[in-house]
Amino acid sequence: MNKYDEKWEEQINALLDGELSQTDAELLKAEASDDRDLARAIIEAYQLQQAMDDIRVERAPDSLRKRLRAIPRQHRRAPLFNIFQPPWAAAFAVIPLVFMVLIMMQPNTPSTQEIEKARQDLAIAFAYLDKAGQFAGREIESTVGNTMSDAIAGSIIRNIKSQYETSKEKEV
Amino acid sequence: MSKRYRQWVKEYQDQAWTVARYILKDAQEAEDATQEAFVKLWNNQDSIDPERVRPWLMKVTRNGCLDRLRRRKESVEFDESHMSADINGPMHGASVSETGAWLKRAIGGLKEPYRSLVVLRDVNQHSYEEVAGMLELSLAQVKTYLHRARKQLREQLAEVRP
Repeated sequence: MNKYDEKWEEQINALLDGELSQTDAELLKAEASDDRDLARAIIEAYQLQQAMDDIRVERAPDSLRKRLRAIPRQHRRAPLFNIFQPPWAAAFAVIPLVFMVLIMMQPNTPSTQEIEKARQDLAIAFAYLDKAGQFAGREIESTVGNTMSDAIAGSIIRNIKSQYETSKEKEV
Repeated sequence: MSKRYRQWVKEYQDQAWTVARYILKDAQEAEDATQEAFVKLWNNQDSIDPERVRPWLMKVTRNGCLDRLRRRKESVEFDESHMSADINGPMHGASVSETGAWLKRAIGGLKEPYRSLVVLRDVNQHSYEEVAGMLELSLAQVKTYLHRARKQLREQLAEVRP
């Protein structure tokens, strides 16, 4: 083990790295002439550097070179947008499902056309009812007299009509 | 194949391999680690500054190797038997001189981050600034640690040399 002052260690490395100034190099040289351990450390450092020159970068084996060249083929980069890619395909599959759920969640209200059709049906039904009322009135009249028949048939028709009017108001 | 990627492979495959080889001390695992690093490079090539690809790649390679070491729960201490069993690696290159071969084993025996520092700076010849960036250390720390690592190697070399 060298016993020279540790402060010279940095100088030795700087010398090997070619980063030591001329002044510092002279100073180190002067110190080494008086310090055998330091002189030996400098010599050993040079020997190490020479040995380092023998072990430059290793050549990668052919098998590795082949593997590295194959990477682009084996790891194709995904395009930014591709409908056939699983994430996008899944998203597209979900869209109709979401629509269906939204439709199912809508309140069950009839359309305008349905309401109009129902009104027409109801008007026809009342026309029939009117005729039936008149027929019933004639039947009653023939049985119990004119005044009574008007009272009975008229009250039936008025009752049904008032219910119809109420339902219309509610719709409005 | 991306022309840019192909160029990076050509320029940096040997350096990345060397880093992996020294840290893992196992040829097959070093190949896997190097390949993983290049896969990451391929996948992230658009987000990496082209001027910083080399330090980025070395850092990713080293980190991948250290992760592997942790996973296999192997001590980072020098493993002589492991080294001598692997006859195809850099530790036993036929063209390398005896001192060079010894030095490779000695570098492999250094603890982290000394080993990575020596490999990156003295073997791969990266600048101090690049090494500091790769290892996420300050420039002063890099120099101090590297001095310690070199001193260890020097002293070991002095012991084996006549």
